[in-house]
Amino acid sequence: MRNRTRFLIPFVAVGLVTAACSSGGTTPSTQGSAPAPSAAAPADSKSFPRNETLYSSGTMWGPPANWNPLREWDSATGTKGLLYETLFLYDAATDKFQPWLAESGEWTGDKEYTLKLRSGITWSDGKPLTADDVKFTFELGKIETVPYHNIWTFLDSAEVVDPQTVKFTFKEARYQQWANHVYQRAIVPKHLWESVKPEEVVDYANENPVGTGPYKYHSHDQDRQAWVKRDDWWGIKALGKDVKPKYIVDIVNSSNEVAMGLLLQKGLDLSNNFLPGVANLVRGNFGVSTYYADAPYMLSANTAWLVLNTKKKPMDDPAFRKAMAYSVDTKRIVENVYGNLVKPADPTGMLPQWDKYVDKTVTGSMGFAYDPEKSKQLLADAGYKDTDGDGLINNKDGSKIDLKIIVPTGWTDWMESIRVISTSAKEVGISLTPEFPDYNALVEARSTGKFDMLINNERQLSNTPERYYDYIFNLPVQKLQNTVNFGRYENKEAWDLVGKLDATKTDDVEGMKAITSQLQKIQLEDMPVIPLWYNGLWSQVSNSVWKNWPSDAANTPKNPPTMWRNWLELGGVLVLTELQPAGA
Amino acid sequence: MTTTDPITAITAPDPDTPPISNRREALYFAVRNGKLLVGVGIVTIFLLIGIVGPFLVKSPPMEYVGQPMMPPDGEYWLGTTTFGQDVLAQFVYGVRSAFVVGVLAGGLAALIGMVIGFVAGYRGGLVDEILNMLTNVVLVIPTLAVLLIINAYLGVRSVGMQSLFIGLTSWPWVARAIRAQTFSLRSRDFVDLARLSGVRTGRIILREIAPNMSSYLFMTFILLFGSSILIASSLDFIGLGPTDGVSLGVMLNHANQWSALPLGLWWWFIPPGVAITAIVGALYVANVGLDEVFNPKLREL
Amino acid sequence: MRQYFGRKLLIYGLTFFVAVTVNWMIPRFMPGDPVASMVARARISDPEAVAAMQQYYSNLFGFDQPILAQYFNFWGALFAGNFGISIWAYPLPVSEVIMDAVPYSLGLLIPSILLSWFVGNWAGALAARRKILDNTVLPVGYVLTAMPYMWIAILLCWGFGVVFQVLPVAGGYSFALQPDLSWEFVWSLFQHWLLPFVSLFLVALGGWAIGMRNMIIYELEADYSNYLAALGAPHRLIRRYAFRNAVLPQITGLALQLGVLVAGALVTEIVFSYPGLGSLILKAIQNQDFFLLQGTFLFIVLGVLIANFVIDVVYVIVDPRTRAGMAGATT
Repeated sequence: MRNRTRFLIPFVAVGLVTAACSSGGTTPSTQGSAPAPSAAAPADSKSFPRNETLYSSGTMWGPPANWNPLREWDSATGTKGLLYETLFLYDAATDKFQPWLAESGEWTGDKEYTLKLRSGITWSDGKPLTADDVKFTFELGKIETVPYHNIWTFLDSAEVVDPQTVKFTFKEARYQQWANHVYQRAIVPKHLWESVKPEEVVDYANENPVGTGPYKYHSHDQDRQAWVKRDDWWGIKALGKDVKPKYIVDIVNSSNEVAMGLLLQKGLDLSNNFLPGVANLVRGNFGVSTYYADAPYMLSANTAWLVLNTKKKPMDDPAFRKAMAYSVDTKRIVENVYGNLVKPADPTGMLPQWDKYVDKTVTGSMGFAYDPEKSKQLLADAGYKDTDGDGLINNKDGSKIDLKIIVPTGWTDWMESIRVISTSAKEVGISLTPEFPDYNALVEARSTGKFDMLINNERQLSNTPERYYDYIFNLPVQKLQNTVNFGRYENKEAWDLVGKLDATKTDDVEGMKAITSQLQKIQLEDMPVIPLWYNGLWSQVSNSVWKNWPSDAANTPKNPPTMWRNWLELGGVLVLTELQPAGA
Repeated sequence: MTTTDPITAITAPDPDTPPISNRREALYFAVRNGKLLVGVGIVTIFLLIGIVGPFLVKSPPMEYVGQPMMPPDGEYWLGTTTFGQDVLAQFVYGVRSAFVVGVLAGGLAALIGMVIGFVAGYRGGLVDEILNMLTNVVLVIPTLAVLLIINAYLGVRSVGMQSLFIGLTSWPWVARAIRAQTFSLRSRDFVDLARLSGVRTGRIILREIAPNMSSYLFMTFILLFGSSILIASSLDFIGLGPTDGVSLGVMLNHANQWSALPLGLWWWFIPPGVAITAIVGALYVANVGLDEVFNPKLREL
Repeated sequence: MRQYFGRKLLIYGLTFFVAVTVNWMIPRFMPGDPVASMVARARISDPEAVAAMQQYYSNLFGFDQPILAQYFNFWGALFAGNFGISIWAYPLPVSEVIMDAVPYSLGLLIPSILLSWFVGNWAGALAARRKILDNTVLPVGYVLTAMPYMWIAILLCWGFGVVFQVLPVAGGYSFALQPDLSWEFVWSLFQHWLLPFVSLFLVALGGWAIGMRNMIIYELEADYSNYLAALGAPHRLIRRYAFRNAVLPQITGLALQLGVLVAGALVTEIVFSYPGLGSLILKAIQNQDFFLLQGTFLFIVLGVLIANFVIDVVYVIVDPRTRAGMAGATT
């Protein structure tokens, strides 16, 4: 026993010494090698030299697990854009398409589109990019599970004319949607992908990806994806442009707070996270900047809509929906919840980039704004009264109105926002309770139509407002509404107009405006969904290693500074070509 | 047999020394025990904050009342959050909900632990075997992991439900300790006497056994009270707390999620932690004090 | 001895069975449908494509089978080391995701548990019945043990990471490095490990110190101590005997506290975004990835059971009474 207890003593002693070392020894020694990647890291292949590396975050919410550009929702950051490329880029600021893999593309007939590829583009395995690859990529869409399967509802065939030319023939000419596809579809190499079984294409992890883009796969780990520059990228010759960072390391999001900490420690160059309170950092002297130096700080990326279930009482009544629209105190959400990082939405919900499609005479006479008195008036006029004296209005038949508004639990900014919405609804007498189901439960309620109200912002900025009207008016209403028209609003006239819009050529702005004006009238009269605010293209940059970031200042690039999925082809990749090393 | 409970480090009543039946004597030592006084004092202060505070603050805890991110000043004593909520208002409601969780979860766990402990210890035999097995199984499973699973899946979103689940999972060590005590008491003369005179089992436990370890039972409750607050705050912090109200853990969760650390909003995350530490620490200290009051051997020399 | 271990193993086996069953059961009663949410995330609107994808994933995850078959398959898969496929890190298998995280968690837990136990017991033993020391160790111990794990983590993170900016606040190693055996990498690992370790160590330390202090006082008041004192034995000797007796319950205490310590590690990892099991659990919860959550849960249960068993063995080695009588199992 004597021996047995004594054996504890040395352990204790060692423990103390270790503890003393570890707590005392760190402070001085960390001065030399800063916690953030230090600028003087040696140039051995195992580490990324700080001055040649761009650190980004804000895109991936899980470890990089696939490099499949068809999985536009969870492929590793940069899979589409850095590695695989699209035929065109689209610049929302100027509303222009820029040929990318394509040299040109035009409608050569009513239902015929001819696409010419650039010559001299090679895959990273050395094989040339040919028209066969393009045809193959679009034909992958014939597989049901491929996300762009619906392209084949209006596309008839894709034919290879010569190695640089593809001719697309259509059943129906949907100019707007097609324009969307030519810059959103990533072209994949036929010689490597044709061996993948059709039923596995969507789940193909594609661990050794071969693309045409400016970067190729370097390495990945649970919490990061690293890309290394390709020296033989076609753009160097063809465009006279080159991407500047030799390495791009995209860090998996853990939390806003961590991203902000890294940004402040200069360990992150581009944070595409929503960083609450970042306005303070931009105004203070912390070396962090955003696209605008003042509110709203960010470009707008999408519209957050208040979706009302039009199949339920009293949301089936346009008057009620309108009253609801007048009741929302959007300013409070913008100022208190978001600290002015977002902008209140236009009554039509059209993003600022689409301002030219907004008919100001329509919004001038029919637009709405926060006005509780008007809201009460609308309710009273429509026959909603407080018949049981509890201070809250009742249905026209006297039954209680007890509505719920839902957002997924953990989506903190939205959770705060619907608290504000429910408070302001109560002020006009509508009983509206905020609830926070888990994401799955919400998705189920949303797609099956078992909800009262919710917030959604899934439709992003694109080349055409048609995509927004598709989101609002899409028909027919299915058993499951997974991506569009969650409120199950049915208006045949509106949906026909959307079809007409789709069939309008993209350069016929006047023709488009005539249709959008009519759609806006319907929208403001019937209020199927209520636009709330424009979510920002969250983007915070540090100038410590890279400079010349896009901003609204003169002589700076105007492309969206982001690594978000499906944004690189909106000009995100061009940001990388404009960067300059801060030291130089 | 070592009668000191390893987890709680409170000593169980020694069967050989009669429990203090003389209340005066207990009171005499109680008012002279510094630890007890300090502990009870601190807990009382927070209890008052929790009871009275919510009536004194100007606004509901989640309401946006002032300028966002204001440091403490004359108007908002603990400053405001990123949204402009009054931290003090959240704090007093949070303290209140900490006590609610402590009482409900601690009480439930103590109740389950006692019932199982008494029954197993008194009945012995097969009943004991089964209950003992159950106790050991629940004892070994990591509680927080279970709570995480339950909360995540079932969406436990109210203080009451949270307390229920904490109570349902934190009783085993109590059951074990009480079982051991009951074991040693059940063969004592006064218990035999009761049994011979035909008193029913439930009555014997309530009338004869429980009073003989009342001080011990009270101390277990205090410890459960404290640990329930800690467990609840961990759950709240992970984001599995009540969504309709505020608690100290939820405050920490919000502060963390809304970047209070990098933004330097220390007034948002320091007070809730101080309150939890103070309440739980004071409970523990008071418990040691009580232990010394009830157990003469432990008193300061 | 065989009976003692047999009994222990039975309990552990039963625990594992219960854990697995609970684990299997709960997700099947939860609201929401993970397949639906995966399909929704894929942003597919075409009804045919939706149906095809739903069919595909249901098949993949086995939801289309009868419930009892699902249960048996669950066990079968478990023994094959197959925990399913992570939804969060689709299409990685859960076991792979967990295995990536385990070294980080163990690297935090084992040193912090052992060191805090040794240091805490030593400090507690030293402090017992020594006025001045006791007056410092006791309050400090109580403050430490009453601190929520995440709060001390937040304080350290704020102090060292934000205010002084001397230590990193997130990740397992620098984002500028790739794992290899260079000094630079090990140093980076150490820097990222330090704060989470210290948080865990400090909170646990307080508990052990107080436990030991109280236990020693109890032992010093025990009859044998008084007897020794009456015989005129030196004070040091009495204390040494007291320490030996007091250490035994502390070993049992270690087994009982494992769950709490693991829980502490989970929240600490979350504060520091340390890439261990805790961060994984948070991700699993946020993404409703129940395969991952179940896998992690089972892994933790298994880990705690194994650790318990190790402690049982140690206890038997240290305590001669258990070896002689093996009666310890009954009370």
